Amino acid sequence: MLRANSANTQDFRFWALDVSDNFVYLSTFHVKEIKMMADRRRINGPPGGTRPAVFASNLQSGTSATDRAQRQRQPSELRKIFLKTGLIPTASGSSYLEFEPSASLAAARANPKSLIPPSSALKLACTVHGPKPLPRSAAFSPNLVLTTHVKYAPFAARQRKGHIRDSSERDLGVHLETALRGAIIAERWPKSGLDITITILEAEDDRWWGSAPDSHDASWGMMNVLAGCITAASAAIADAHIDCLDLVAGGVAAIVSDETTGASTGAPKLMLDTDPAEHRSILSACVVAYMPARDEITELWLKGDSSKASLENNDDRTGHEALIDGAVDAARGAHTVLAEAVRESLLRTVGQI
Amino acid sequence: MATSLPAVAIPGQRLGSITAYSAGPGTHVQQSNIYASIAGPVIVDPAQPKTQTKSTLRVSRILQGTSQAAPAAPTKQKHRYNTLPAVDSIVLARVTRVQKRQATVSILVVLDETSSTTTDPSKLASDNDNVASILTTAANPENHSNTDELRFQALIRKEDVRAVEKDRVVMDEMFRVGDIVRGSVLSLGDQSFYYLTTARNDLGVVMARSEAGNMMFPVSWKEMRDPVTGAGEQRKVARPY
Repeated sequence: MLRANSANTQDFRFWALDVSDNFVYLSTFHVKEIKMMADRRRINGPPGGTRPAVFASNLQSGTSATDRAQRQRQPSELRKIFLKTGLIPTASGSSYLEFEPSASLAAARANPKSLIPPSSALKLACTVHGPKPLPRSAAFSPNLVLTTHVKYAPFAARQRKGHIRDSSERDLGVHLETALRGAIIAERWPKSGLDITITILEAEDDRWWGSAPDSHDASWGMMNVLAGCITAASAAIADAHIDCLDLVAGGVAAIVSDETTGASTGAPKLMLDTDPAEHRSILSACVVAYMPARDEITELWLKGDSSKASLENNDDRTGHEALIDGAVDAARGAHTVLAEAVRESLLRTVGQI
Repeated sequence: MATSLPAVAIPGQRLGSITAYSAGPGTHVQQSNIYASIAGPVIVDPAQPKTQTKSTLRVSRILQGTSQAAPAAPTKQKHRYNTLPAVDSIVLARVTRVQKRQATVSILVVLDETSSTTTDPSKLASDNDNVASILTTAANPENHSNTDELRFQALIRKEDVRAVEKDRVVMDEMFRVGDIVRGSVLSLGDQSFYYLTTARNDLGVVMARSEAGNMMFPVSWKEMRDPVTGAGEQRKVARPY
């Protein structure tokens, strides 16, 4: 049974009534007023893409609370990182980075209940092209001109991404550029440009896929993606032999409140390298780009409310300071992997392995 | 000064104190310490007794294979590195346009100092050693730039072609489109062009094809000859080694 709920505009919403007389939200599609531009002789499809209807009953049965991904790591334990440089022969420098998938993925593979993977882990490839001459139209520059592009593959996230970079991708590119600009010695490469292109093959989720968007929601997964981008780009730049002050590594820390884990206290806790799919609600998160040799931060991105963090009793830091310190600790961890990957690729080239 | 130097360095690695060494290419100084800024083997250049008091510490861009055990079978390893043209560096460039007052060239490869001073070409370890292949194939694969747009552009002005009789230079008799020229960088130039000079005996056209399309050989400082037709053509010829 269908009811049409027509608004003042020619905008129809279709609702379906199931047997138990409860309204189940099916899907909404807007039939826009046919403009003069559109083809009047044919029946036009909807202007955007459509998604198949998801029935609430399916969602209930397929995703019981036990299927929810849980963090198996200690609060200060990082995920393993796979990082390798020089995989793309046509680029002057390249790297590939992968985060260890959550334990829930292995469990779901061993005992499959659903075709939907419970969590996703970051996978990305970074290429560095250059130093190359600036375009003819560009003005004279005594420094290296850095250009960063971050692009999600269409299949990288649960929601498909378009081929044109959207605002979040451009945002990531700007953050990455600030992070790298502080590390590169730009004056050693006059009149030349450096293009850094990152393709994200698999992105982190912003929340557990089964839970509905709520008030705590923000693009938490993006912060993990940025940290991965910084680490991978740093490895690719080192692979291209561009002068840097230090290998700059990215790290994420977050203040999370999990009712299940903090049953006794229930208070928000600081955790390093958070996978948003493993937490019920993230209150605040921070990503830094950090250079350990100089103890400098080149990029800092803090989001959310960090005031509610419950720290140790003898810890007189504010939640915000603790969050930044946690992100720096995570970056230090990523730096050890980064340094090892760069050293390994160097020794491979020199031929000592 | 008991701290020994590492064999290879990665960016951000502390190499030594500024009191013991002076900082060379591939390093930077931070709080009176020398740090590596690229990944590569650490090389100590001994002090020149007259001019310097400290030996220079540098991180090499040239990754030389250490397979010394089997010199009979030189491994064809790709030694990638990036080099920008700097003032006084010797470059090989292809002529793309000849005008009345200047010739436009695109820089194919920057010859590094070590390879230009080494006489035995078989001992060159850089990727520039295979100059013949660079010149026969249009693209230098190490440059990753296959079109002129992606290469650094340079100008050879009429007065920079040769050192004598500068005012009688006719550009058409010096270069033709497609010639390979060895030149020295005069300046970084403006936003789009470097400036090159060929005003030295060892600089000028090193490879050229005749009108008939055959590779020519040099016969004098201003003439090259086609071995098939025997016809001579005028060029500003570099002195062959």
